[in-house]
Amino acid sequence: MWYHKPAINEELLQSLPNLKVVASSGVGIDHLDLKLLSRYGVKVSNTPFIVSTDTADMGMALLLASSRRLVEGHEMAVSPDTEYFPADWLGVEVSGATLGIVGMGTIGYKVAERAKAFEMKILYHNRNQRKKEEESAVGAIYCKKIDDLLQQSDFVLLAVNLTPQTHKLIGKRELELMKPTATLINISRGLVVDQDALVEALQNKVIKAAALDVTYPEPLPRDHPLLKLKNVIITPHIGSATNKTRWVMMEEMTESIEAALAGLPIPREVL
Amino acid sequence: VGKKVQAIYLWWHKPVIDKELLQSLPNLKVIANSGVGMDHLDLKLIASFGVKMANAPRAVSSATADTGMALLLASARRLVEVHNISISPSMEYCEADILGVKVTGATLGIIGMGSIGYKIALRAKAFEMNILYHNRTRRKMQEEQAVGATYCKKIDSLLQQADFVMLVVSLTPQTHKLIGKRELELMKPTATLINISRGAVVDQEALAAALQTGVIRAAALDVTSPEPLPREHPLLKLKNVIITPHLGIKTDKATYMITEEAVENILAALNGLPLPSEVLPS
Repeated sequence: MWYHKPAINEELLQSLPNLKVVASSGVGIDHLDLKLLSRYGVKVSNTPFIVSTDTADMGMALLLASSRRLVEGHEMAVSPDTEYFPADWLGVEVSGATLGIVGMGTIGYKVAERAKAFEMKILYHNRNQRKKEEESAVGAIYCKKIDDLLQQSDFVLLAVNLTPQTHKLIGKRELELMKPTATLINISRGLVVDQDALVEALQNKVIKAAALDVTYPEPLPRDHPLLKLKNVIITPHIGSATNKTRWVMMEEMTESIEAALAGLPIPREVL
Repeated sequence: VGKKVQAIYLWWHKPVIDKELLQSLPNLKVIANSGVGMDHLDLKLIASFGVKMANAPRAVSSATADTGMALLLASARRLVEVHNISISPSMEYCEADILGVKVTGATLGIIGMGSIGYKIALRAKAFEMNILYHNRTRRKMQEEQAVGATYCKKIDSLLQQADFVMLVVSLTPQTHKLIGKRELELMKPTATLINISRGAVVDQEALAAALQTGVIRAAALDVTSPEPLPREHPLLKLKNVIITPHLGIKTDKATYMITEEAVENILAALNGLPLPSEVLPS
């Protein structure tokens, strides 16, 4: 299964009586109906850990690009109309700023490790608090209430998985709690954010900017307002899109499939 | 009015400090530069008029190091290219084609390991990068160990091994066109060149040719020569090039700190005290 295709529904499963396993690429499994698959006796696997560093790198890439207005800057540098670079053109400093990580799993933690080297102050919100040693290693402070994180952060990075609890986790209320100088970065799933509320917040300067590797749907319809906003960077869900990682993902998926077909324990099985 | 001027705060290379200007300002005591680069100034000329010079080294290092990392990541993951695809009216792209280069665990070669180069090393270390560096002088062992950096006495050795080559030198007669055809050909065909130093450190024609023929994979340049480039310059048209408008220090925080440093230097000069960051003609 690659990039959520084909869609696994009852019709497909009925037409494939000998289907033993679905190997899904990447870590997210929100696109799969696990109960349905279980009823048909089909096993499921994913590739959870190999994607972590690339996705964390992508989170940092988006954070830095947005703060320093990299895409805008490039356009100015190459535009046929540019005669000089204005002296009053400024971005926001990353070093020493406050990063709030929502979802401190494997990926969230790797983002924290990277952000620490930029002397960022790190806050995090998670279902569970991490161990003290893990927190001290990256200098991260737990925010039991997401509101505390939202109110203090210069950059809010979403690294949760998509579940009924995280669906539209960031809506109008959350965006209004954020600083007007803050940036929202999403490397989780489009549905974690209420997109209409985000558009409004960006248009009305409730928050400063957004950088999204994920949207709903992917890709967005061509007339969607998010595509037209100057303070938005959108990338086409490339969190794990590097040669090396894709190679390993393929190997892992093949390995899981072969194990399933041989009736052996499946590496990276999703239960 | 010329007689009243005792200090100049030089913002973004203006005004141009030439003999004519210096002659018209007989009471000028100090010129404070907004930034760290001094290559646009004739230090000997200014000193000959008895005018002191200062730059702002402390304020710029973090913001510039951040820019270096921003460009490295943006280039590796083809950020500008894919953003444009994402927002383009035609949706036809194949996800499998949009692959970037892995940053975590890759080898970064830093050319110029001063304050800015060292801050880059600190950041790159968190991405588990393997760090090589080339510098006029070798850093202390503890400094090397703190970032896991390996010294390359010969620049060739760095160029041959690095996946990302980052230029962080100051512009001097020795570093002028430091990276030319020969150096580009020593680099890996999968490598990326990032320049946050000065445009003149790179032979731009050689760079354009190298990018067009796949001698290196890509380039990300915050600085060019001149700035901006003429609109018909080949570098502006290449898909594998990101160019930014010399935004290395252009953040709210850095500009504030630069101005603070400049004021400190100006006040010291006017009060006959030692300047915190005086620059002497070498």
